[in-house]
Amino acid sequence: MLGSTVKTTLRQNIVTAGLRISPACAAAFGVLMITVIALFTAPYVGMADNGDFFRIIYSNGLYFNLPDYDSRYFGYFVRQYGIYQYFNENSSMLQSSQSLFIKLAIALNKLIFSKAVFDIRFQAAIYVVLYVTAVYLLIEAVTCRMSRKRGMIVAAVAVFIFGDTGYTAYFNSFFGESVVMIMMIFMFASWLLMYRKRYNDYVLLLVFLISTLILTSSKQQNAPVGMVVALLAVSLVWIREDRWFRYLAAASAALMLFAGAATYLNISKEFVNINQYHAMTRGVLMESDNPETVLKSFGINEQYAILKGNTYYDQYGTIDVKSEILEDSFYSRYGFVSILKYYAAHPGQLGSILDVAAESAYTIKPAAMGNYEKSAGKEFREQSHFFTGYSLLKENLAPRTFSFILLWMAVVTGVYMPSFIAAVKQRDVRRMQRSVLILATMLVGLSGIFVSIIGAGDADIAKHEFLFTLSFDLVTFLAVSDVIGRVWLRKKLSGAIPAAPEVPVVPAVPAAQYTGTKEGVSA
Amino acid sequence: MNRVKIMLWLVLAAALLLPAPAAYSAQAGQQQVLLLYDSLGQGTPRAGNVTELQRLLAAYSMTVTLQNLNEYEKGTLASYSRVIMVSNSADLPITSTAYLEDMKDYKGQALYVGYNLPDPVKSRLQINQSVLSGGSVSLSIGSMQGVLLRAEEMPYISDNKADRVYGTLALEGGSRRVPYAVSGGQYTYVPYLVPENGSVMAMAYVLSGWLDTAVRPYVYLVLKEIYPFSDLNLLEQAAERLYESGIPFIASVRPVFGNTDFPAMERYLEALKIVQSRGGSILVNAPAVRPPIDSNDRTLKGKMNGFINVLAVNGIAPLGVGAEGYWTYDKEYSAAGMGFFDSAVLFPDEEIHYMEQVPVSKAFASSLYSITPEALQQLRGTGRDLPAFPLKVAVTVNLPESADGLESMLESLNASWITFNDYRQEDHTIITDTNTVAASDGVIRINGEAVNTDYVPKTVSGDYQYQEEQFQSFTRLFSVQNQFFIVVIIIALLFFGALLLIGRRLYRKKYLK
Repeated sequence: MLGSTVKTTLRQNIVTAGLRISPACAAAFGVLMITVIALFTAPYVGMADNGDFFRIIYSNGLYFNLPDYDSRYFGYFVRQYGIYQYFNENSSMLQSSQSLFIKLAIALNKLIFSKAVFDIRFQAAIYVVLYVTAVYLLIEAVTCRMSRKRGMIVAAVAVFIFGDTGYTAYFNSFFGESVVMIMMIFMFASWLLMYRKRYNDYVLLLVFLISTLILTSSKQQNAPVGMVVALLAVSLVWIREDRWFRYLAAASAALMLFAGAATYLNISKEFVNINQYHAMTRGVLMESDNPETVLKSFGINEQYAILKGNTYYDQYGTIDVKSEILEDSFYSRYGFVSILKYYAAHPGQLGSILDVAAESAYTIKPAAMGNYEKSAGKEFREQSHFFTGYSLLKENLAPRTFSFILLWMAVVTGVYMPSFIAAVKQRDVRRMQRSVLILATMLVGLSGIFVSIIGAGDADIAKHEFLFTLSFDLVTFLAVSDVIGRVWLRKKLSGAIPAAPEVPVVPAVPAAQYTGTKEGVSA
Repeated sequence: MNRVKIMLWLVLAAALLLPAPAAYSAQAGQQQVLLLYDSLGQGTPRAGNVTELQRLLAAYSMTVTLQNLNEYEKGTLASYSRVIMVSNSADLPITSTAYLEDMKDYKGQALYVGYNLPDPVKSRLQINQSVLSGGSVSLSIGSMQGVLLRAEEMPYISDNKADRVYGTLALEGGSRRVPYAVSGGQYTYVPYLVPENGSVMAMAYVLSGWLDTAVRPYVYLVLKEIYPFSDLNLLEQAAERLYESGIPFIASVRPVFGNTDFPAMERYLEALKIVQSRGGSILVNAPAVRPPIDSNDRTLKGKMNGFINVLAVNGIAPLGVGAEGYWTYDKEYSAAGMGFFDSAVLFPDEEIHYMEQVPVSKAFASSLYSITPEALQQLRGTGRDLPAFPLKVAVTVNLPESADGLESMLESLNASWITFNDYRQEDHTIITDTNTVAASDGVIRINGEAVNTDYVPKTVSGDYQYQEEQFQSFTRLFSVQNQFFIVVIIIALLFFGALLLIGRRLYRKKYLK
């Protein structure tokens, strides 16, 4: 039995009988195959522009080179863009770590394909390589203490979840969700690997730091991510005795906190009108019993109640959403903090809007955007259904109330609490990390919901809540994997050691005796 | 007696057969003009002159077909009795063979603007041209006298033997006078047209003659940028003060497409009713348009229809539409957004977002040429009074944002000595699915009933149920049940608390002695 739960190494994976791949390799390969088929073979799957792309691409030296690009908004995915041949005078409209990947993709594109035309599949290729690596690390972290058999079951579940084209379609787009997804998985996997004591802690800390920094700075709404992760990652300081690691872990946490704060400060400057408009018209005013009173409380003319329910993208409106009138007498009167304060003072309204948020909290791929190119001959806004079993299942089966989210959090916390308490009793900080990671991930997910609601109301909410849906999947996947491990283990143990049928939820192993093998018991 | 009868019949027949002045008799869209250009002159002072021509032609109720000369197809000219060719590229000769061949056989009226005047026209008008490289010239045409123009690479007619001369340009400090434009036979030539100076209005004089129209030179005052979020008290005050000053005006009001039952909307409508009762004519301003995301969006018609109906139901009679000029060149906007109206005020383009651009414009029976007070001031020239323009002009100002702004607007209007006309005196018809608004000779009717302009303001109550109350069953039962459980839980908590205390005591007594 012990032999079946020892660490698997790459060398062990290759046996004399032939190529014997680990669950992590299998999952990574499965995700790779599905993603390559979806994104790189015709009809190519991608995401249509919802009007946001210009903010990131202009500053990175790309432009829309299709004369009828405007007619493809929301409807069709566009594969090729023009590369500026002269000085790009567009100042950076959006500070985002996503630019790193776009610039890298442009360089690759220029090297291999063209200096004038950018094919977005070069960006997708970079993302796919990173994504597959992230998935490999994640599955390795989850299955490294499992037998190959149950590891393969977990790998199959992983392919079902993370191979879903609802997730990977983002790679063929300029949405920041691609970076969020990859970096979130890297962050989750590296933290979990540290908990598992798998690979070198220093390397993992570096991966953890870099992924969290990129994740935090990829989107303005991710500012709380840096702060939440930084605060909880402080516990990593005590997982090793050596001073160097402690210094580095503390410095990493400080850096993440700084990144979160910097991104937050960026929000106050760059809290773009679109989100600000929606935060009021599709958020605060939507669920209010008396929008006029609400507006007065913000010092805004009560007549703006007429804008209740309007969106920034309305084709025809009473007022130009970029007008000076709105700038002077509407946008300038409120911001992220004042809306936060308002919701804090009106918990009832917050509850209602959270329920609205929960409606879309399980949507991975927003239905508003089409997935095919116009040349594929598909309908406007037509969605791809290739390998979307998980996203369809999730969207249709998950109860759509905020109380379910709270219940899910309570159940997950409850399930992992005994092992956490045991670890606290034994003062084993490393063994506490799984629960800390789960808490951090859940808080990151919740921040996704809160920031969406406060920052943009219910507009475009399915896309804004991506962070939650991903956090939900990561935590649920970990919990399911642990259950798979536990069920198998119970059977094994009941057969092998009939005298000890009661397997403790968390084995009471002293910190000094902590071994990877025993760790596998609680998986 | 018979001779008298015959004479009477002859007079009657002559009166019936003689053509009446076009603007008074012609229906909108009857006259079509082909407007060709070789370049839009971007980056030169001439940039925008084609758009100005489009606006002027719209003000003469012309249906215009705009076409780049590069896209000209043979035979196109045959469908038009009038053609305007704007050449903004001095260095590039016209090479379109299809166009040049068609022009050889063309029998209609041709107006040339700018450079590249064809040889047949030169020889017919016996024109010599020169270019003024700098300085300024004084333009006089019609009742517009001594308007200064900055001459920057300005072509002019140095010599001619044309049949008709339009206006004069005084060069070299007035020592030399040359015509602004000339015409002879089927040809008319205007060498200089630059937007935002007096040459545009001079062009209006030329067009008036070229199109052979006579439009009453009326001037109207248009208040723009009126939103439901504007200072409605200030709007009412403005209406009151203009009424007291005897200045009729047009209020171009922004449409609202949703939440029209909210108290905020009622307050907006109340303000508009007061405007209407104080000599204000209501114009529906075009909505703000986003860059089209979904080109299949066909909601405009329903939205505009709905807003006009809301106005009509509340006794407010919109008499026309106010929109940027490019709206008339968009299939969707002109049909779905402007199709209800036969009167329009066309403002200069600010931000163009076509939904479905078309080369042919929509014409209106009544169309006002919008001009700012500052531009109007430039046209006074050396004259004290405002010249009589050859087209209907809408002096367009934004609704002031403060009481001080209102005062200064009123002061400048009173000081301008302009006699503003009442838009309601013209004929207007607006038809929606359920309402018909008509105005004629100052009487406005909604569905045949005259609108009462003596309106007494009402106060709008802020009481409104914004959220629909959800139906709740067994509320009384649940309320009783709630209270019951609260009592039970409190008792249970107290009971367990007491048990805990007792237990703790017993434990301490037994084990901690």
